[in-house]
Amino acid sequence: MLLIRTLHKWFGLVLGLQFLLWALSGAVMALLDHHKVSGDHALLPLAELTSGPNPTSLDAVQTVVGPGIIKLELKPLFDRWVYQATTTDGVRLLDAGSAAPFQVDAALARSLAIARYAGAASVESVSLVTASTHETRDMARPVWRVAFEDADHTALFVSRATGEVLGAKTDTWRLWDIAWMLHIMNYGDRQSFNHPLIVTVATGVAWLALSGLILLFRSFRRSDVAWITGPFQSFAERRTKARSGSIPTTSTRESDDRHPPTVQGPSSPPQTERI
Amino acid sequence: MIRLPALARSTHKWLALFVALQAVLWTLGGIYMTAVHIDIIHGDHLVKASPEPALALAGLVEPSHLAHLAPGLKSARLETQLNRPVYVVEATEGRALFDARTGEKLSPLGQAAAETRAKALFAERGGVVSADYLTKAPLEMQTRPMPVWRIEFEGAWRPTLYISPLTGELVTRRHDLWRMFDIVWMLHIMDYDDRQDVNNLLLQGFTWLTVLGSATGGWLLLYSFRRRRRRKAA
Repeated sequence: MLLIRTLHKWFGLVLGLQFLLWALSGAVMALLDHHKVSGDHALLPLAELTSGPNPTSLDAVQTVVGPGIIKLELKPLFDRWVYQATTTDGVRLLDAGSAAPFQVDAALARSLAIARYAGAASVESVSLVTASTHETRDMARPVWRVAFEDADHTALFVSRATGEVLGAKTDTWRLWDIAWMLHIMNYGDRQSFNHPLIVTVATGVAWLALSGLILLFRSFRRSDVAWITGPFQSFAERRTKARSGSIPTTSTRESDDRHPPTVQGPSSPPQTERI
Repeated sequence: MIRLPALARSTHKWLALFVALQAVLWTLGGIYMTAVHIDIIHGDHLVKASPEPALALAGLVEPSHLAHLAPGLKSARLETQLNRPVYVVEATEGRALFDARTGEKLSPLGQAAAETRAKALFAERGGVVSADYLTKAPLEMQTRPMPVWRIEFEGAWRPTLYISPLTGELVTRRHDLWRMFDIVWMLHIMDYDDRQDVNNLLLQGFTWLTVLGSATGGWLLLYSFRRRRRRKAA
């Protein structure tokens, strides 16, 4: 038991800080409302178009896009019907009625974002994000980042390829993401949690927790729970006394073989210092 | 007056009494979640990554005709399933699958069609063990739309593909490593109902108690090593 106590102490010294960080970051993530973290609350549901599509022929699409179409979608994009053609080279957008190709430029991205934004604030900036950032690491890039002037610093992300709104990020998410970084111990791109460092530390901390659990069985004395058991015991003793008419020589309190048989009240100081 | 080391030890001990078992579950679960790669958990290896062929558009049903096939058209997608061009359509009445050459409605897929679809997607060797048509989402399907064909295969960890009878799409795939991960996740976030709510009160309470528990452990460390040094010096 002394060995376990020593190991618990040393594991605590080396890895205790990470355990504290796991508990703290976990507690923060548990407090942050996951609806706000996901950014869904900042988005309006997709509006449906009142008029049905009047799509041009497949032949016209083929003429504009060329061969190599793997997938062809007919879908509403904000205020009009579009064809979205996935080819071996990437994605092309066409007006569904005229087959005229178009691109999601900054101005279009801006209006697509405003159409889905649930708040009332105005647009602060529109910028193209090509490289992976904390905010865009899970999105297909390049994406347009449309930032709004609200208190939560909401940004909507519009795919340059498809015009779809891929998500929203807010300050709630940014705070959550710091906790997430600490939790998964990935201080670079904050993405993967399958790396040798965290597996190693988790194994060590698992032992820290397990040894702590084992130590609990040795750490509590009868005196620790005397405030609960005390009244029951004195009742039992009184009954024994009343039955036999004599004071019992051994009280149940003293039968704890792990510790010196000293009777202690709830307010007594600890009998041994085992720090 | 109570001495500080005694106070540190006592608070650490009492906090630990409440959170120790959960801390063991958190850390052991953490090892599982970090040691087994998330792509394996997701079952990426169960599904063939075959490049999709280019569509031959000539002679296919025109998109303008789709509104007649599926009134209240919301969106449509032309793609290849089982070497056949198909339209996956979403309309007022729900989702549906049409043969893009003939306009014939293929959905809802029967058992044979769903199995053929699953077999074409399955990347491993085993045959079909069972095929069930589900109208009520099992726990491992979470919030995904129903109905669905559940096709289980022979192989390690009971690989299972879920095929939508309405669209022919692979809805998701599951195997026992995912199911284990889900149990670990449930224990990790302490939501024993639908395993989704990361903001439940139990978790919030336990995490903050654990913050205090580990902080008092750190406090206790201040006294744990000084004593030994003093003894040596003596």
